[in-house]
Amino acid sequence: MVQTYLEEFDNYMQQDAHEFLNFLINHISEIITAERHQLNNSATPTTNGKVTASKEPHNGSTSLKFDGSSGSTTSTGNQESTWVHEIFQGILTSETRCLNCETVSNKEEDFFDLQVDVDQNTSITHCLRTFSSTETLCTDNKFKCDVCSSYQEAQKCMRVKKLPLILALHLKRFKYVEQYNRHIKVSHRVVFPLELRLFNTSEECPDRLYDLVAVVVHCGSGPNRGHYISIVKSHDFWLLFDDDIVDKIDPSALEDFYGLTSDVQKASETGYILFYQSRDTS
Amino acid sequence: MAFNKSNATHTNRKKVQVSFVIRDESERYNRSGVNSLQYDPQMNRLYTAGRDSIVRIWNCHPNKSSKDFYWQSMEHHTDWVNDVVLCCGGKYLISASSDMTVKVWNAHKGFCMSTLRTHKDYVKVLAYAKDKEQVASAGFDRAIFLWDVNTLTALTASNNTVTTSSLTGNKNSIYSLGMNPSGTVIISGSTERTLRVWDPRSCNKLMKLKGHTDNVKCIVVNTDGTQCLSASSDGTVRLWSLGQQRCISTMRIHDEGVWTLQTNEAFNTVLSSGRDRRVWITDLRNPEQRTLLCEASAPVLRLCLTPDMEHVWVATEESSVKRYPLNDRHLMMSEALATDAVRSINTVSPDLTIRGGASIRHYRILNDKRTVLTKDSENNVAVYDVLKAAKVSDLGQVDLDEEVKRRNKTVYVPSWFNVDLKTGMLTIHLAQDENDCFAAWVSAREVGLALEDSEETKVNYGQLLLQALLEHWPRPFQLGDEANVDGPEGSASGGASHTPAISNGAIHRPGNEYFSVAPHTPVIFSEVGGRTLYRLLCRDAGGDTEGTLLTETVPTWVADIVVNRNLPKLIKVPFYLLPHPASGIKCVKKDRLIANDFIQIRKVIEHVYEKVLGVLDTNSFGTLSGVNGGVGASTPAGSAATPTGPSPGANSLSAGSAATPSGEKGLPGSAVSSAASMTTADRQETSSIAEDKVELLCNDQILEPGMDLRTVRHFIWKSSADLVLHYRPFK
Repeated sequence: MVQTYLEEFDNYMQQDAHEFLNFLINHISEIITAERHQLNNSATPTTNGKVTASKEPHNGSTSLKFDGSSGSTTSTGNQESTWVHEIFQGILTSETRCLNCETVSNKEEDFFDLQVDVDQNTSITHCLRTFSSTETLCTDNKFKCDVCSSYQEAQKCMRVKKLPLILALHLKRFKYVEQYNRHIKVSHRVVFPLELRLFNTSEECPDRLYDLVAVVVHCGSGPNRGHYISIVKSHDFWLLFDDDIVDKIDPSALEDFYGLTSDVQKASETGYILFYQSRDTS
Repeated sequence: MAFNKSNATHTNRKKVQVSFVIRDESERYNRSGVNSLQYDPQMNRLYTAGRDSIVRIWNCHPNKSSKDFYWQSMEHHTDWVNDVVLCCGGKYLISASSDMTVKVWNAHKGFCMSTLRTHKDYVKVLAYAKDKEQVASAGFDRAIFLWDVNTLTALTASNNTVTTSSLTGNKNSIYSLGMNPSGTVIISGSTERTLRVWDPRSCNKLMKLKGHTDNVKCIVVNTDGTQCLSASSDGTVRLWSLGQQRCISTMRIHDEGVWTLQTNEAFNTVLSSGRDRRVWITDLRNPEQRTLLCEASAPVLRLCLTPDMEHVWVATEESSVKRYPLNDRHLMMSEALATDAVRSINTVSPDLTIRGGASIRHYRILNDKRTVLTKDSENNVAVYDVLKAAKVSDLGQVDLDEEVKRRNKTVYVPSWFNVDLKTGMLTIHLAQDENDCFAAWVSAREVGLALEDSEETKVNYGQLLLQALLEHWPRPFQLGDEANVDGPEGSASGGASHTPAISNGAIHRPGNEYFSVAPHTPVIFSEVGGRTLYRLLCRDAGGDTEGTLLTETVPTWVADIVVNRNLPKLIKVPFYLLPHPASGIKCVKKDRLIANDFIQIRKVIEHVYEKVLGVLDTNSFGTLSGVNGGVGASTPAGSAATPTGPSPGANSLSAGSAATPSGEKGLPGSAVSSAASMTTADRQETSSIAEDKVELLCNDQILEPGMDLRTVRHFIWKSSADLVLHYRPFK
């Protein structure tokens, strides 16, 4: 569903869609929580104090970091649950196994979307697999094992412990390149299917089938300026929203937004945020 | 064939960190798990490679009446000793450690002969070819080095280069090595899961053995190098034929990772153990025939069979080591009549236990940044004084959190060290950045160091401790000046001397004025990022060799404080001093002041009293100066005559930007004002009058006059923005 821009973003600077999503989700959540408190007549509504709408210009490659984690939208631990959480929130678990004592420790974090690295000429399924691939903590980056009381080598991987009803996948298309000392847009061709099965779940979480319901597309060559359009599935047909223009499109047109196969830096219209809805529930 | 040279000396390039260990002089018991074992049947001695960094020798003579088997400690490593091998019939011992070094020891006398520094990460495992007296070392840097023991044991200070060959090809961290006695085959196991086989004589790659699905933690090769056994974290033990280059059998004996193996010489029986704590004996010709020898109390790290096959030593993640007896039934299962798949002979109990000590597993640093509370593996809580490098008391089995709450004071002292429990003992690392190491200035009297001193005397924790740790180190003569003038007794040319040397006309006392640390305290210099450069005991720093090595190793910023006796920089806090909105006083201009972070609130009150009420004639910048306006790092060495701390002038406030390092000096009007002519008595009187007239607030909280600025900033102000203090005269 296309949202209208809120006041905080109403300036002449261009904003990043993912950042807006972060803001929107947390803000709605706060409004609901505040209203609930007012109804319950408690003293002051608890604001979690972490959302600060950015009034500074930005280049779309950083997102508001709420928990100092990888940059995905996370909720603060003591937040009450709202319909926003019920729809969008999932739980990630990072499993770390110390290679010395072989103890596995888990650390959970909530998420409202998954940040996915993109490779050239791949599919979203492939990118998700990489998301869950095993990372080895070694050399300078050893794991501080509490059982061994020392730094040891470890293997770590991220798995989804709880899948949300609507899974938002944020493709990391804006990268900082040290060579050029600036951020660039990565237009790699990443195929996203209409139907997606999520495999990288932990033991307690069965894998689920999802259907694509919306795509936020970034049009442009770089992170500093561009245009967003949205594609949304409504009933059984697909609509393309370009500011005030709404068109019906054929599902095959989605292929236009996969990205470019060559690495030439030119303007592209690429899928940026993908919204998948779980098929199990209506 | 790779060709490397190993040198006993080293060059420092990275930042150097100073650490020390708080411990008893003699640690007779393992203070943490035991990673490896070697048994000398001739002397009936057991060598244990401890996670507490110590290799201990145990005398297991059966006629020993006392239950204490402790013989000697071989101490030189600074991190886990991961593996040991006895060579030359038990004369020498080679050790491999997480401190990235391999050390050569005289096993009979128990001293370290040389240190090999070729590895760049934890050295995890050793292999030994007895017939050739060749040892191989490998670890997380993926390198395998081959060493000739006779060359290693002939190294001296002057003849200190040794050539080694290395085996290349490993792409992953190596966790296991196996070599047959004749040294014709060497095999490595790693997180790659595939075993890699070389011929150590030519360094040629021979084959790869695939099959395991997880890390390989132990490899045993048979005598003629035709077969090998491997133990993996995937829970299986595999038997391989090197001739056929394939796996002959996969045995699922354990429920969890298998970490250690021992075989008989005939290579038909294997003992295995690991994370599931069970020690199984399996017949390789008929793997279904197996016996459970025992179940240990913690995951088993190493098994060691005695050559006569009568006993097996078991080392675990716990600190005690146990010996179990084997009988014929254990070892001749195939000849037995029973046809059951798993024979249920009763498990045996240990017939000898080398008791282990407790390991410190938890710690909490109190706000005073000097006291550390610890809890060990037996749930005993102890109190340590980091400044004096000593244990204060044992509290027994009390609640750690409760004790912390009880003992914590509302005081803020900057952090200047951190705690490391990797050895089960308390290792203290002084902050690697010199600014952080010297950030803790405190009042000598308040912390109980000098009760007669005036409260004004400030001392620096990092400085005091470094001076105490290096108390016995004589001044090296290349920093020389007139120090070579004959002093009262000692000269500066080295040699243990506790008499003060003379330099620039001032007397240098060794150490600090207030205390010494226990002479047996190990002092460690290491590169930030792990590699140990030098370890010595505090009391040995006076020796010639030690002195020279220290001169090479000690970083400049430490020598500056310890040798040159310069004072570390003071930490400044900028803050705004404004009338409280409710006081009715008009705020004419926003005064931004700077003061040392340990300045007490009463000093600020005094300043307000004198400035606001105009009791004394101060200059318009509000400088309340003492004798010379403060001390900075630029103090010449001559003022080391008062090595204890900054002069009373350091308790002054000054206005101006925070940019000037010793702001007071750079200001106009910081020259002596009429305030300088006040006596101490006058000053104290003004101070107490001031406290009756004016109060100071921060975030609307009235401040205790005894609190210092940094405590106020940390506990009450809590923001990273410049501190704001409000003053309010009493009505």
